[in-house]
Amino acid sequence: MKKDHGHVGKKYGMVIDLDKCTGCGTCMTACAAENNVSVRKDESDKERSITWIQLYQISNGKKFPDTRYSYFPRPCMHCDEDGRGGHHPSCVSVCVASATKLDPHTGIVSQIYTRCIGCRYCQAACPFDARYFNWWDAYFPKEKGLERYLSPDVSPRMRGVIEKCSFCHHRLMRAKNQAYAEGRREIEEHEYITACTEACPVQAITFGDLNNPKHKVHELIQLPTAFRLLERLNTKPKVYYLSTKDWVRRLADNYRPGEFKRLSKGS
Amino acid sequence: MQMKRRNFIKFLVGGVAGIQLTPLPWKFTDDVAIWTQNWPWVPVPPVGAVTKEKTVCSLCRGACGIEVRKIDNRAVKIEGRSDYPVNPGGICPLGMGGLQLLYNESIRFTSPMKRVGPRGSGVFMDISWDEALDILSGRISKLRKKGHPEALAAIDGNPNESTMALMVERLLKAVGSPNYVSMPSVGDTCSMVNYLQQGTGEMMAYDLENADCILSFGSGLLEGWGSPGRVLNAWGLWHDAHAKEKAVIIQVEARASNTASKADFWITPKPGTEAALALGIAHVLIKDRLCNVSFIENYCFGYHDWKSLDGQEHKGFKSMVLDEYSPQQVAGITGLQADKIKSLAHEFGKAKAPIAICGKGKGSLNGSLYEFMAIQSLNALVGNINKPGGVLVHEAMPLSDLQKLKNDQISLRGLKKQRLDQAGTSKYPFTNSLINNFLDAILKRHQSPVDTLLVFKANPVFTLPDTTACYKALKKIPFIVSFSPFKDETALMADLILPDHTYLEKMDDLVCPPGLQYPFYGLTKSVVDPVYNTENTGDAIIRLAKKIGGSVAESFQWPEYEDVLKTRASGLYSNGKGLVGYDASHPVWKMQKAGNRAAPDYSTFEEMWEAIKTGGFWFTAKHNYQNYSSIFKTPSKKFEFFSLRIKSAIDIAAKQKPLKKVLKDLGVAKNADEACMPHYSKDESSQDSTEYPLFMMPYEMINLASEWAPNPPFSNKTLLDNQLRNDESFTDINPQTAKANDLKQGDRVIIKSLAGRIKVRVNITEGAMPGIVYLPLGLGHTAYDEFSKGKGVNPNDIITTNRDPVSGQIVWWNTAVKLIKV
Repeated sequence: MKKDHGHVGKKYGMVIDLDKCTGCGTCMTACAAENNVSVRKDESDKERSITWIQLYQISNGKKFPDTRYSYFPRPCMHCDEDGRGGHHPSCVSVCVASATKLDPHTGIVSQIYTRCIGCRYCQAACPFDARYFNWWDAYFPKEKGLERYLSPDVSPRMRGVIEKCSFCHHRLMRAKNQAYAEGRREIEEHEYITACTEACPVQAITFGDLNNPKHKVHELIQLPTAFRLLERLNTKPKVYYLSTKDWVRRLADNYRPGEFKRLSKGS
Repeated sequence: MQMKRRNFIKFLVGGVAGIQLTPLPWKFTDDVAIWTQNWPWVPVPPVGAVTKEKTVCSLCRGACGIEVRKIDNRAVKIEGRSDYPVNPGGICPLGMGGLQLLYNESIRFTSPMKRVGPRGSGVFMDISWDEALDILSGRISKLRKKGHPEALAAIDGNPNESTMALMVERLLKAVGSPNYVSMPSVGDTCSMVNYLQQGTGEMMAYDLENADCILSFGSGLLEGWGSPGRVLNAWGLWHDAHAKEKAVIIQVEARASNTASKADFWITPKPGTEAALALGIAHVLIKDRLCNVSFIENYCFGYHDWKSLDGQEHKGFKSMVLDEYSPQQVAGITGLQADKIKSLAHEFGKAKAPIAICGKGKGSLNGSLYEFMAIQSLNALVGNINKPGGVLVHEAMPLSDLQKLKNDQISLRGLKKQRLDQAGTSKYPFTNSLINNFLDAILKRHQSPVDTLLVFKANPVFTLPDTTACYKALKKIPFIVSFSPFKDETALMADLILPDHTYLEKMDDLVCPPGLQYPFYGLTKSVVDPVYNTENTGDAIIRLAKKIGGSVAESFQWPEYEDVLKTRASGLYSNGKGLVGYDASHPVWKMQKAGNRAAPDYSTFEEMWEAIKTGGFWFTAKHNYQNYSSIFKTPSKKFEFFSLRIKSAIDIAAKQKPLKKVLKDLGVAKNADEACMPHYSKDESSQDSTEYPLFMMPYEMINLASEWAPNPPFSNKTLLDNQLRNDESFTDINPQTAKANDLKQGDRVIIKSLAGRIKVRVNITEGAMPGIVYLPLGLGHTAYDEFSKGKGVNPNDIITTNRDPVSGQIVWWNTAVKLIKV
């Protein structure tokens, strides 16, 4: 692996504002459409349904009419080295086939379908249930002709491999190619965003380079309302959430009594 | 030959040599390599040139701008457009999945077809367009020859203001039938309220983005109400962490919908009592002097008690509200606490720009007239009408009329016949069309008065409350023609299919999306070549009219549908105030408030039309705020708390029959004065509460298509597993309701009403009000393919419909039901 000469590498990440998120599901649809995710006859079995980004409904548990629902959109967290000796994301360290890798230049955790041998270790290792196994061939029956909307940017997956959110890696490639063609070395913030970021109709998702102080995400993750899921596992997710609501924040981790710190404002 | 040792060795050596030479082992090894490394059953999307086409989504009436990414002539992705005035970049999940409707051959009609199997079986045979149009024109000509042109009828799901709706109505009128029936929508009730209180029958125009307090009476702001892309963006603006002043959102709804959960305040009156709550708020506003007195005194009518020309005393809005809707009285009706009603009224009355909005759920079905009048009266009380951040009053959209219709003797005689649905008669004086009455009229008679029914952009057998009645009525009609591009429930009952293009394959207009605060005209275009042998219904109607000939053909002299669109759009040009270009950094709601006076960005009609064809929109940001002396076109020339139009309708009818009978016919339970004002009356037709102790409320979700368009399979991924599991859908009930009925999570129950019964599973949630049974709309299709067919149940199957007073439209929001544990 080449060493970076002096300058800090990129670390792409995402910030999702849960106070803004309305649970509409546009991110899920946009993601599936962008990444050629196949739809099966029965998508109601959530252990089999493939959803690179998944909306989880949460409730404050209060009685009617004080009940409130909120939503956690969960893409792949693109975990990072833990900073205490270079442990890789939990999926990467268990992969026997080098099919999933942490890219040190972008921070993106890749998934290479043609290398995957389908052992599902990574699926078991992922604390966020972000990985999905293809139990069947992609469902595109000939008589329907649904394969006509498939995008050539993302290869459809075959039976027996794991797939997951790639932070729309092909969009990074496209942006880089464009920059290269125009003689630029760097890409602008707006040139590379994921399909879900672009689709979110309330602009709850922000995407960018967490290491770049000029990017909005860099500023957002400093906010006191920012947090990550299961932070204590120290997998260093690159997906951050914002919420002013303590009941939402509390559901992000398994806190021991007295361990959860309330925000001074908000409820 | 004898097998000796020598021969055996020869054979062996020959065999080994042979195997070395034959290609078979190499072939097998190669095949094994292919079988293990290649997956021929995985589609390989072909590469090609990437292009992007801009158009407008017309899956609902919202008119959000979309951009379609293409590889050669193949559409591969739909994205929101950030250069479109309605929606700054965002669209809803259904619009995002639109390509699954375009390219799913098993839900589309691939060619004109005629029925060959039994009705409803979905067995059709391909025919040519000429043959199909000949069959239909022959049938219509025969009706005309027999002197019964009125036996032709149409059910039309196109929005009332659209050019397609005009075309369909024109076809019927040219043939000579008054039986043009449109599908109910929230716009019907809104425009009736505006006609009665403000004098113009325009849609409600809410300046949501500039408002600072939104009081929503069941409007699913996050469930797809209005233009989803626009409303969701406004939601983002209201909740932006950097916003100086955040808007307060108050949701009045009996279910923890996404809107209710995410709102700042959630108020839960019993369903059907929203009008009482609105009037209770009015009471507090009046009593605690939170009204805009100068607006009320100068520009409103019927606030105080008044005396008519004949010397009769009439009660005004103020004394009615003060007498009958005190917070204590309203608390008794709605089940809310009186203090909560007071604090709610104060929140609303003290805001700078408060708006009360109406339209239940997505607003795909009509609302209740008096409830909407009560809600609009709140906007008048705080004087937030025709002001920035308020409810704007527009003149009619400046679209030109089509050329005058040519009628022959046959059609003139036909048009004199009474409409089957009795809309516009003294029973329903302000209503244009009543589909339930239309279906009733067919059911009541021994022989169907309708011989040929044309269905446009509508699927009443699935979307109309009380589907059983609709199904039975349609079954009685001898000949049904569907223009649907999709194999929906209604199309499967048809005898002849003349399939339309889908919205991505054709040019059509979208006029005034619901709730939008400025006059807007959207135009879709064909972004891919038609995938199948379909035809734009506008063109099909023109060709049909030409085949019928005579005065019908003379009424449709345009060469093609685009010419019709152009004819209407010429009014946009002569209006002289429009824009066809848009800069995303200057949103229209800001431009409008800032008093934009930009001159039109086109100089000739052709230039404007070409720009609309590429950009897909025309709008005007010029607005005359306030201007109260000329905007109200009511008889009093003021905003009417007391509608003089209702009064004169009652007075005219009372000349022929006793007043009591008049009010009864209108469905009004109160006296003649209150019949002219927004009021609350208990739904008297509610069934026996011992037999059916619970109420069923259908609800809509943003990620599930419940209207005419099919559901993209992608959205099945977004449904939660307590909404749909395998093929069973769930009903949400409160733990109290569950306990009373001895039900546990996941139990199966039958929900029974007078109209029918359906079987579902139980989801116990605190988001449900005790005593109410909730069911999502959009599941339970009996048509389409494996992604939709047989998944869940359709609540429309068990809705018992009542009649809304005066408007006569369907009351669909409270059906008495009981639960039977399976």
